[in-house]
Amino acid sequence: MDHRPQAWGRPRDDVYGAYDASYLHTNGPKTATQSPIVTGTSVIALKFKDGVVMAADNLASYGSLARFTDVKRLRPFLSTSVVGFGGDVSDMQFLDRHLTELAIDEAYEHDNTSSSSETPATAGQLNAANLHKYLSKLMYRRRNSFDPLWNQILVAGFDSSSTPFLASVDLRGTTFTSPSLASGFGAMLAQPIMRRHAATEEDAAKLTRDEAVAIVRECMKVLFYRDARSLDKYSIAVVTRDGVELSEEEQLEKQSWAFAERIRGYGTQTV
Amino acid sequence: MAAMFSQNPLMNGPNYSVNDAPRATAPEGARQHRFDPYTDNGGSTLAIAGAEFTVMAGDTRLTSGYSINSRHHPKLFKIGGTTADQKDATIVLSVVGFAADGEALKERLDTICKMYRYRHGKPMSVKACAQRLSTILYQKRFFPYYAYAILGGLDEEGKGAVYSYDPVGSYEREQCRAGGAAASLIMPFLDNQVNFKNQYVPNSGEGHALQERERRPLSRSEVEVLVKDAFDGAVERHIEVGDGLQIMVITKEGVEEVLLPLKKD
Amino acid sequence: MTSIGTGYDLANSIFSPDGRNFQVEYAVKAVENGGTSIGIRCKDGVVLAVEKVVTSKLLKAGANKRIATIDRHLGIVYSGMIPDGRHFIDRARDEARAWRDTFKTPIPTADLASRMGGYMQAYTLYQSVRPFGITAIIGGFDSTSEAPVDGEVGAGPSCGAGGKVPGKTYGGPFLYMVEPSGLYWGYYGAATGKGRQAAKAELEKLDLGGPAGPSLTLEQAVKEAARIIYVSHDDSKDKEFELEMTWISGADGPTKGLHREVPKELREEAERLAKKALEDDEDDEDEEEEKMEE
Repeated sequence: MDHRPQAWGRPRDDVYGAYDASYLHTNGPKTATQSPIVTGTSVIALKFKDGVVMAADNLASYGSLARFTDVKRLRPFLSTSVVGFGGDVSDMQFLDRHLTELAIDEAYEHDNTSSSSETPATAGQLNAANLHKYLSKLMYRRRNSFDPLWNQILVAGFDSSSTPFLASVDLRGTTFTSPSLASGFGAMLAQPIMRRHAATEEDAAKLTRDEAVAIVRECMKVLFYRDARSLDKYSIAVVTRDGVELSEEEQLEKQSWAFAERIRGYGTQTV
Repeated sequence: MAAMFSQNPLMNGPNYSVNDAPRATAPEGARQHRFDPYTDNGGSTLAIAGAEFTVMAGDTRLTSGYSINSRHHPKLFKIGGTTADQKDATIVLSVVGFAADGEALKERLDTICKMYRYRHGKPMSVKACAQRLSTILYQKRFFPYYAYAILGGLDEEGKGAVYSYDPVGSYEREQCRAGGAAASLIMPFLDNQVNFKNQYVPNSGEGHALQERERRPLSRSEVEVLVKDAFDGAVERHIEVGDGLQIMVITKEGVEEVLLPLKKD
Repeated sequence: MTSIGTGYDLANSIFSPDGRNFQVEYAVKAVENGGTSIGIRCKDGVVLAVEKVVTSKLLKAGANKRIATIDRHLGIVYSGMIPDGRHFIDRARDEARAWRDTFKTPIPTADLASRMGGYMQAYTLYQSVRPFGITAIIGGFDSTSEAPVDGEVGAGPSCGAGGKVPGKTYGGPFLYMVEPSGLYWGYYGAATGKGRQAAKAELEKLDLGGPAGPSLTLEQAVKEAARIIYVSHDDSKDKEFELEMTWISGADGPTKGLHREVPKELREEAERLAKKALEDDEDDEDEEEEKMEE
């Protein structure tokens, strides 16, 4: 007789045969994301003199269906950085929860900054450059295990020397930085516009906040005109050394669809 | 049969443990994937060994498909220094291909070089580093780093050393090597200009009697001009090459770095 | 303590014939030797404060924090054996994390108190363990708006099923104290450690538990907390001490719903007022004594 605790209350093997625990095993292959399901489209961001502007619309699409129209795809981190997500929304939610845990871990050690003059950078808190490194290692590890998080992520904030920081990481762990960045359709439609104003770091360092915000808003309008999976409601975040200002209820204004009439295949054609 | 239900842990393992219960045949291993873990981020690299220097170069464009992701993404990395800015490093690694793998490869090699320094109290020789890099690449033989690496430095005699690799770790020491998207454009040019291939002494004879031009080590200034010309040519003919040219020259004084502009179209 | 020395105080799992667990009572003694900790639940937040006795001049001033952040909106302060407290904090953080993992929402203060009470109590049951030598004060501010689920992306329906109910209130400031026995109650004001008697007497004078709710504001509470720590401090036992204070307000308050250390400027102002109040008291007492002598 087996007297060990794990046998208590179980039918006896010698009478009933070994316990069939097969139902506890998941049969079939291990599953991993093979393609994104509910997706967000472009995220765009532009550096300026003393910070970074980032924007993304509030739409989550299910294929060609505009499924959720109030989805917030820009997430502030520790009120020093902003993370913008394109791609799969459920993976974004997973990452968002993960970042929440990370922020709480930070609070254990650092949130108790006693003097109000101390900035997060000097208090040794995770800055945007650290966060981007962390996320890129996470994304690369997941691609190595063939279980990618199907996102392209932009991280905006400041680096350890307190200069504006903007970088990207995608589902394969590829990372890069640039004065302006755009994911998805934004890479084709918004990036040329932003590069016209800020081709180099030096150009970007001359832009004022208002100029940068205006350029990004203009880009969001172009994206709405041309990207079929986009929305005229969007979020815009401005990261400066003072913190993060995030507005999630922006509406595209002064739309003019007059140009569409001249383009064959764009809307109703009369000829 | 009796042994099957003996409940003797020695005979059939711990009873009732969920892990040891008989499995209804669960086919594992047959995994299908649509996810492609690789991309090609374009770009090109080049290395030339001189008599007492090595010149490494790479463009700074990072592409995916027809998009330019970044105009300033370095492909050259100093390896094995003692500080974060690598100012005392003596070895340079260049990587092209899939940027994320290149980055991971660079970080692996750098940490290994640092560990070597801590354990042995001296920097790694280029020769040792080159062998180690091959091992790192081969360790991932069945899920390779998709990166074409070139390692440059000075050998034990102070001569320029260039080691080139394929993605799974096959390597050799060479006089010069071009890697990446425009390798096929640059390499023939280097064969002709560095190793004087297809260059003959005028009027030295006909057919087999034709004498090859005598090889001589190139001077540093000659090499630097060659590098710029090679990339200007590549930029003209390859869409994934351009924006900036990062050059590192390794001499016994250390590593000098310059950044030159390339066409941005 | 008639049963002392009769063997009933040697193990946790044995009651004395008169129904007492002596190990727990000894643990309380350990708490009574620790620096005073207090918590005040006021109108718009919670303040935690501790008298950090300076045991050596070689300790860096302001380092070695005694009040810990558990989750964004939660803080714990404790009196007694500091290593026990550290372990308690670790466990509380694990509980808060586990709650987030399962429910995708921050742990309410009441639930944390319940779980930590249960954890403390488990250490009074077994032969192989001893009770915690601490009494912990848990302060928290549960979100007053309907808290979104962690990672939630949309606002949800604005009306109907799952919609927002107008006028419904949620959360607010909460304060709990957990004792070595595992006993925990919710409090308006809580005090523990060596100066608890004096501190409780002072806390009772504050307007915290009236039928209309506390009228004390967060800033006032910070100043009262500082004063109470100074009042309950016994100069004859320990000379040097540091005052450590944290606070938690709602999302619209000064800490934006987070457990943060009280800013240096405000803490110093509170300490200045506390010292002044103390001196005034002493003057009054001196005058009274003089009168008596007359």
